[in-house]
Amino acid sequence: MNAVLLLVGLLVLSYLGSFLVTGRTVRGAGLPSGVEYVALGFVLGPRVLDLVGGDMLASFEPVVQVALGWLAFAVGLDFGYAGDKRVRGGSLAIGTMGSLITGGAVGVAVWFALPRLQPNLAPSDRLLLAGGIGAACSETTRHAVRWVVERMNARGPLADRLNEIAHTDDLLPLLTIAILFALSPTPDVHVREPLRDWPLITIGIGLLLGAGASLLVRSDLRLDETWAVLFGVTLIAIGTTARLAISTLTASFFLGIAMAALSRHGAELRAMVAPTERPVLLPALLLAGAHLDFVASPKLPWIAAVAIVARLAGKVVVGWLLYVSSKPARRAGPLVGLSLMSSGALAISIGLAFALRFPGPIGDTVLVVAAVSATFGEFVGPARLRRSLQAAGEIDNGAAQSPPPARVTA
Amino acid sequence: MTAVASPASRGFVHHVTHVVLLVAFTALIFYVTRAVPEVHGTLWTIASIGFLLVAGTLTSEILAPLGLPHLTGYLIAGIAAGPHMLRLVDEHTVKSMSPVNTLSLALIALSGGAELDLSALKQGAKSLAWAMVIQCVLVVIVLTGVFVAARPLLPFARALPVTQVIAVGLLWGALGVTRSPSATLGILSQTRAHGPLARFTLGFVMVSDIVVVVLIATVLGCTRPLLDPSAAFSAQAFVQLGHELFGSIALGTTLGLVIAVYLRVVNRQMLVVLLVLGFGVSTVLDYLQFDALLTFMVAGFIVRNMSNQGHRFIEYIEQTGTVVYVVFFATAGADLDVPLLRLMWPVALLMAGSRAGVTWLGSVVAGRIAKDSPVIRKWGWSGLVSQAGLALGLSVVIAKDFPSFGPAFRSLAVATIALNEMIGPILFKLALDRSGETSHVAVPSLSSLRPPPLDH
Repeated sequence: MNAVLLLVGLLVLSYLGSFLVTGRTVRGAGLPSGVEYVALGFVLGPRVLDLVGGDMLASFEPVVQVALGWLAFAVGLDFGYAGDKRVRGGSLAIGTMGSLITGGAVGVAVWFALPRLQPNLAPSDRLLLAGGIGAACSETTRHAVRWVVERMNARGPLADRLNEIAHTDDLLPLLTIAILFALSPTPDVHVREPLRDWPLITIGIGLLLGAGASLLVRSDLRLDETWAVLFGVTLIAIGTTARLAISTLTASFFLGIAMAALSRHGAELRAMVAPTERPVLLPALLLAGAHLDFVASPKLPWIAAVAIVARLAGKVVVGWLLYVSSKPARRAGPLVGLSLMSSGALAISIGLAFALRFPGPIGDTVLVVAAVSATFGEFVGPARLRRSLQAAGEIDNGAAQSPPPARVTA
Repeated sequence: MTAVASPASRGFVHHVTHVVLLVAFTALIFYVTRAVPEVHGTLWTIASIGFLLVAGTLTSEILAPLGLPHLTGYLIAGIAAGPHMLRLVDEHTVKSMSPVNTLSLALIALSGGAELDLSALKQGAKSLAWAMVIQCVLVVIVLTGVFVAARPLLPFARALPVTQVIAVGLLWGALGVTRSPSATLGILSQTRAHGPLARFTLGFVMVSDIVVVVLIATVLGCTRPLLDPSAAFSAQAFVQLGHELFGSIALGTTLGLVIAVYLRVVNRQMLVVLLVLGFGVSTVLDYLQFDALLTFMVAGFIVRNMSNQGHRFIEYIEQTGTVVYVVFFATAGADLDVPLLRLMWPVALLMAGSRAGVTWLGSVVAGRIAKDSPVIRKWGWSGLVSQAGLALGLSVVIAKDFPSFGPAFRSLAVATIALNEMIGPILFKLALDRSGETSHVAVPSLSSLRPPPLDH
């Protein structure tokens, strides 16, 4: 396929995706995680139809990096906010702890399973693989909770709490990949910094660029100049981190956090950026699908199974903590944590970032496990969430018969 | 009581902040390019575009108190970041930005066409027609004369016989007729100027795009036998030209109608549609060997004048304004051959000065004949000095067609165009400011944006 045709195809996909943002045309279409686009990408990719070949994927790496960076920026800008409200401290604590417990459970499980599944794996690769899978499996997609909440017209404290948790569990996985990327420096980088400094440099680049951009937008630039600054600093973050071989996702995420925190126009910036998220996401998911290689490792199914079981266990523990600490959650029962099983955009973005940074079995395995985990989450998360909300008495059964339009962002 | 900063001190603080941020962003990119020096991949193109966006915006804001146009800031940022100064953006990266430039050019041309109002064009038709004829004739004749007179200063022309010098001079003269639609639109986008001068300049520059293409083809056809004795006059070039012109106009008309229907029926996500058109249609045009500038210009013109969607369309395109112009002009700045300009600046200055002079003379003469309004008679020439992509493209064609003197001819052209590219926008903005056409209406900023409820 011609590169321009593919680019135009991706733009058309963005166009269709943008309709899903407001949902006027395609009411309620699409899955919360967007795995259907990953599947489409896989079918079009080099392993099946080969319409998007390996060379083409390589030439589209910049497009993927930009998409991932922009998504992480949007997630950072929105971090700690659910809609136009700041999330409560308790939700932030549970969200952060939840991602630590889930990601930690998955990482530890994979770490201990790997010597049996892949005995010849080098210790550094074992750490990368376990850490990468842990990071990719730790989050709950922000979209999933809203997807169910809006379809079922759910309103109540549990729906709010779960929505807030889903909005606050992105920090740890992105910190983890900053550390993991630093563990494997590339020979191109001439600066010799201690390994411990690279994650700080990654975060520092994001925070510094975000602080600079906040100062800039403070000076009342025109709207189109504000767009130029937003694009500009994000592209600088993406390009510099890619050149230094550190985590683009982490730097862009912290760029967004810094802008939201330091700019007095945080709400306006979120309103500007939010509609761009879905149109950027769909092409990224499609290209992620095209990168999937299910035979990257002979024991890949087992690794994926271990990761998913550990993720289930982790979410159960998180749910139990929620059950113990939150009154509304008690009515939903101790398995309320399974409501948070859906993963999506960020998980697949982490997997794709790994696949690009560590081409070969390590990166490919992380990406495949992220995609499989997101697919599995589709079967468990929304259904369990619906049951939890019903148990909590937060679903209007009359409205649930006729779902409202899904007004979604990833 | 809370102390409130005065607008002046707030402005000063903003400017200091912009300078500090520009230094900080430059330092970051400088550090990264030195830390990882040998990476020239497309990923660095991303950072380069980002840096040019930020640096161009900041430089333009820093220079604004001097009355300089934003375009000048973008150009200076590009020159400073480019391969001949700080080397933050290397030659490979500049070349790899060409798809982004193609897209920018498509959007600029669409915007230019959409700004052309048929009724205003009809009103000013007499003025435009006289100006076009006189500018073309005078510029070609005078610049040919200047070129022939400057022969002793031009090493590549010294060895040529007189007839060939005249032929090369004619090519030089024809090149001098080219204007810069992108610079004109960039200045109009910044100043949001409305009035006879803005209308006249826009109409002239857009129409001259067609005239120049025809003129250059004619001059090339006539001079080829003089410059290459083995070549004969051939009408084939005119057949190709007809194919290019009529094909571009036909495709542009179709495209314009499609856009108008889309705006009327769907009217959503126009920016994504513009991106698809910019990349997709540009590729098709390249394959068909049609003129992209003309095609998109005609499309914009059709939307504006053959439908009632023109204003809506302009609003959409204006949203891309700064991003498109910064990328386009900062890249042009980075692409500027500074060493060549340093080497050839005396001759280039002579050529650029004589072109500006004859443009002024042509404007005065045409203004008197057409009985133009005083503002056009006084400032009509100012928007016609800029030159950019079209002239550079034609110089490449000449360099390829005449390998014996073409490369040296192109070097002179590049140096002269560089001067026109830097001086032209300053002159045009000055004229718009002095003639009172620059808009002082506040433009939407982040503060004026009332945050809508988020989609959560």
